[in-house]
Amino acid sequence: MPRLLLVAGLIVGAGLAAWRYLPTPAPATWTAEEVALIKSLSLSQLPALPADPSNRVADSEVAARLGQHLYFDTRLSGTGTVSCATCHQPDRLFTDGRPLAMGTGIGPRHTPSLVGLAYSPWLYWDGRKDSLWAQALAPLEAGHEHAIDRLRSARLVTSDPLLSRLYRLTFGTPPALPGRPVSAGPLGSEAQRSAWHELPETTRRRINEIFANTGKALAAYQRKLLPGRSRFDDYADRLNATNNATASELLAAAEVAGLRLFIGKAQCVTCHNGPLLTNFEFHNTGVLAVTGQLPPMGRYDGVRKARKDPFNCLGDYSDAAPEQCLELRFARDDNSLVGALKTPTLRNVSATAPYMHGGQLATLTDAIRHYNEAPVSMLSHNEAKPLGLRPVERRQLEAFLATLTAPLSADTHWLAPPERE
Amino acid sequence: MIRLLRFFLILPWLASAPALANDVAPELTATTASGVRLEVFSDLSPLALNRIHSWHIRLQDAAGRPYAAHRLELSGGMPEHDHGLPTAPAASSTGNPGEFLLEGMRFHMPGRWLLDFTLVGPQGTETVSLELQL
Repeated sequence: MPRLLLVAGLIVGAGLAAWRYLPTPAPATWTAEEVALIKSLSLSQLPALPADPSNRVADSEVAARLGQHLYFDTRLSGTGTVSCATCHQPDRLFTDGRPLAMGTGIGPRHTPSLVGLAYSPWLYWDGRKDSLWAQALAPLEAGHEHAIDRLRSARLVTSDPLLSRLYRLTFGTPPALPGRPVSAGPLGSEAQRSAWHELPETTRRRINEIFANTGKALAAYQRKLLPGRSRFDDYADRLNATNNATASELLAAAEVAGLRLFIGKAQCVTCHNGPLLTNFEFHNTGVLAVTGQLPPMGRYDGVRKARKDPFNCLGDYSDAAPEQCLELRFARDDNSLVGALKTPTLRNVSATAPYMHGGQLATLTDAIRHYNEAPVSMLSHNEAKPLGLRPVERRQLEAFLATLTAPLSADTHWLAPPERE
Repeated sequence: MIRLLRFFLILPWLASAPALANDVAPELTATTASGVRLEVFSDLSPLALNRIHSWHIRLQDAAGRPYAAHRLELSGGMPEHDHGLPTAPAASSTGNPGEFLLEGMRFHMPGRWLLDFTLVGPQGTETVSLELQL
C-alpha cells in the first residue's frame, strides 16, 4: 500500500512538473491568417508619420533643433534642475526606470516612453491631451515636474540668445513681453495666478502664443524619436505564403512559441496591435490603483479635460482648421471609459520596466501574471479575461517580448544634448 | 481669424460635394428589409486598424434611385469583446439625395466588427447591420 501511494505520488508529481515546464509541441508552419497577422506587426508596415495639422512646424528641422535645445534645458524649470530629459532619459529609451516620475517632486504617474508617440492621437495615460505639442506644455507648469510659470518660460525662450534666434527662425519675431511681473501663470502659485489675471488680455494671449510655440518645437523634436528594427521584425518580414515555417535562425523556439501565444491564446494582439504594438486606445485592465491614490477615472475624465484644453486642436493656438480635428470632434465619452487607460507600445518593453500607469508592476513576469489572472477591477470592469497560461507559456511569452527591443532608428545626434550652435 | 477664414473658404466646396461616382465599387454593402441598399465608400481603402477616416454612404431604393433619408446613425462594436466603437462617428448629409458623409470612423482591434445603421427616411425608421472582419 505505501508503495502504491509512492507511485501515485510520483505520477502526480511528474504530471505537475510536465504541466509547469514542458512546452506544447508547436506546428511546423504558420497558417496564412497567422502570417498576415504577424507581418502586420512588423515595423516595415509602419506608415509615414501622421501629419499634425495643429502644428505648422511639426516637420520643420529648425523647429526640431529648437525643440532639442528646449528638451535638454534645465533652465526651463522653476528650480533650474529639471528638463524633459530628467524623466524621459535617452539612455533609458526615454523612460526613467522609476515607478513614479520625479521632477521637482514625485508625481502621480509612471513616465511613459516617448518613442513612437508621434503616432498617438491622444497623450497621457488618460488621453487628456490631443497632440504632442499640447502635451509638452503641461509638465512645464505642473508643480511636481518643471514647476515653471508661463511668463518665465516664454521670457526664457524669447530672450536667451540661442533659443530666441532659433525661435525667430521657426516662428518669426515674437511679440514683446512686459518686464514686470517676474512670474505669472494661470496654473502656478496663488501669487502667480493673481499676477496672471492682472495682466491685460492681449498680454496673456501673447504669452500663450509663445508658450504654445514652445510646445510645438518640443513636438517637432519628439517626432524624431522612432523605434528601430528588432529581431522580431526580421523574422516577420521573412515570412510569406511560401516561406511559412515557424522555425528560423532569427528567433529561438521559445520565442516563436511566445509569438504564437501573443497572437493567440494570450490575446495580447487584441490591443497591442499594429507595427507599434499598441492601438493607442483606452482599456480598463484591472490594474490596482497606486498605493495611497483612488482608482483613476481614466479616459472618462481625460476626454473631458481634452475638450476643455485651451491648447487643443480646436483651440485658438492650433494651426488646424476645425474639420481637421477629427479625433477631438468624434471622441467617445461614455461610461465604458471609466478606469480606462492608454495601451502603451511594447516596442523595447523588456528594457523599460517598471510597468503600468503607476509603475505598480516591477517586472515583465509580474505584468504577464497580472494579465493571466485578470483580477476584478476596483472601478468599473476589467475588459480582460483570465488566460490560463501555464508557467512555461508565461516564460515563452516573456521571451518573445524581449525580441521587440532594439536601438532607436533616430539619428544619434537627436539622442543627446545638442551642441551650442 | 485665419482659421475662421479658412473654414469659410471651404464652405462652397462643402455645399456642392460631387455626387459619388457610379463606376467605383463600394467597400461594403448591406440591404434593409424593405430593399434600401446601403453602400460604403471608405477614404481609407483597404480598411486598416488605428487610423481615423471618413466613410461616404450612398442609399438607394430597390429600383436603384437615391433614397432620400434625412438621418443616418451608426452604432456598433465587437460582440466577442463586449465593447463598442472607440470613437463616436457622426453622419451628415452631403446635400445630394441619399448621400451622407460619416466622419470619425476608426477600428482599434483585429477581429469581427458589427455595425448597426439606423436610417430615417420616407419609409420611416429602418435598421440594417453590416459585419466586417479586420
